[in-house]
Amino acid sequence: MNPYYFASIALILIGFYAVLVKRNVLKMLVGLSIMETGVNLLLISVGYVSGKSAPILSEGITPDKAVDPIPQALVLTAIVIGVATTAMALSVVINLYEKYKTLNVEEIRRLRG
Amino acid sequence: MSQYASLLIALPLFSAFFIPILKRISKNAVMPFLALVTLIQTGIAAWVFSEVYSTGKPIIIMTGGFKPPVGINLYIGHFAALFVLVIAVASFLMAIFSVKSVSVEPKDKYAMLFLLLMLGATGMISTGDLFNLFVFMEITAISAYALTAYNKTGEASEAALKYIVLGGVGSSFFLVGIALIYGSLGTLNMAHIAQLANLINPIAAKVGLALLIFGLAVEAEQFPLNAWAPDAYQEAPHPVTAMFSAFVVKASLYAIGRVVYILSAAEGWSSILRLLIILGTLTVIVGEMSALRQSNVKRMFAYSSIAQVGLIAVGLALGTASGVSASVFHMFNHAIVKALMFLAVGYVAVELGGAEMDKFEGLGKRMPVTAFAITIGAISIIGIPLFNIFWSKMQLILAALNARYTWVVALILGASLVEATYYIRLIHTIWFKGEGEKVKENSVLALVMLLLVALIMLIGIYPEPFWNVMQKAGSDIFNVAQYVKNVPLMGVSP
Repeated sequence: MNPYYFASIALILIGFYAVLVKRNVLKMLVGLSIMETGVNLLLISVGYVSGKSAPILSEGITPDKAVDPIPQALVLTAIVIGVATTAMALSVVINLYEKYKTLNVEEIRRLRG
Repeated sequence: MSQYASLLIALPLFSAFFIPILKRISKNAVMPFLALVTLIQTGIAAWVFSEVYSTGKPIIIMTGGFKPPVGINLYIGHFAALFVLVIAVASFLMAIFSVKSVSVEPKDKYAMLFLLLMLGATGMISTGDLFNLFVFMEITAISAYALTAYNKTGEASEAALKYIVLGGVGSSFFLVGIALIYGSLGTLNMAHIAQLANLINPIAAKVGLALLIFGLAVEAEQFPLNAWAPDAYQEAPHPVTAMFSAFVVKASLYAIGRVVYILSAAEGWSSILRLLIILGTLTVIVGEMSALRQSNVKRMFAYSSIAQVGLIAVGLALGTASGVSASVFHMFNHAIVKALMFLAVGYVAVELGGAEMDKFEGLGKRMPVTAFAITIGAISIIGIPLFNIFWSKMQLILAALNARYTWVVALILGASLVEATYYIRLIHTIWFKGEGEKVKENSVLALVMLLLVALIMLIGIYPEPFWNVMQKAGSDIFNVAQYVKNVPLMGVSP
């Protein structure tokens, strides 16, 4: 077990708490972003091996001296997807604010049943 | 030759990014272009379908010629070949419908997102790599968020926001699941995971699988994560609603089935099946109970869709080959019926200005063809013999009896009873209430609806050939040993 697991799971839980509890739409989205960051950190720490260097082949660094490159490639993709989702969500929030003049999720509730 | 099957992914992607250029040339060309691309996609899908079913071998495409697990592969087996065809046909019909029903600008953005939605679902069904599945899932999800918000009303944005928040939480869960499985096995290729499944740490397998299921359950509308669905179905443009119900949900359900069965050799796997069966059962109950008290017909159909999806999940979780085949059959039938019903309801909403229950009074006299289509769809969903869903419900019941889940039979019959209550109320409203002027119906859409009605009747009367195809598709998911054997893994063994 390495300590990064605990840090990343703590980040995920903090983000999840914000999504569930906060009333302000923007704060919920911030929570979502924190959650994504935690997940990315978790993915990175899965491939982390203590004392090895970044997986870029150069002088003195052979494949057996580098960490696992696959999680890092995955995290790059996941970060891009996360940015796209956040951008999409923010543009929806702009539209929502124009229509309802509020960011409180309690007041934005016309769809029921 | 079979490498051309990768056009299924390439064609919608390139066409989607060609649309902004096309818009510069001519604005009116966008919608016909959309119909043309989906028609070509249907052609390719039909070719792939005939290729896979005539040779009996899956088409496997390796990116860049690297063998898995180093490279990413696409796996178009019996299931994927069938559902890629369903996706392409449904998209083509909805592209025709879009010409009539989408009037909000910018139409070029609509066409682009439409193609990306189709691409995402196709990719989810045909990919053979866990992380690739995540990427295609996010392509589907982001285009679905954007299409939900397309009408730019406050309600549409609200529905989209709900969808984004749930979808974001779901995709985080999914990634944590991937991290656990990768950390335990060191591979992301599905065939390789299946090969190594008996070596996996049982806790990592259980928690990882549960997280993957929760991540996919957002798109697959399983119980605790489906709060977005009725709102999005109600507020999205009508063709998009039909696409959500006809194949976006089906792609995610397939992905759930696939990830569950590739890890079937892992220890403690049966508890995951139990989790899935409980989720499915709750989905059915919540969906049917909520559908009863809806006054908006589109929203009522959305809840009915959720209930059917729950039945499919229960079938997938029975853990027997016949259960999986039965739920594949139900997926197929439900895709046809819901495409028809959302098309018809959307058409009514376009013509009469809304999908509230009182708009449907006297519909039988105002728009007889549409009313007839809705009636056939409703009768079929209830499960009356000689219509297609009767046979898939029948197969689900038989599979449940074989797997010794007697209460699932009660669940299916009870659900059918509740469905009968609200659908017969709708049919009554359509044919026996109110009067009205006759509306001239669009002949192309009438033709599309009658075609789908004919298909429903055809499967209802001759289920045998379709059931044979479904059994092959179901065993594609269930028979993991064959799946591993089909994928040419590069020099690896457990």
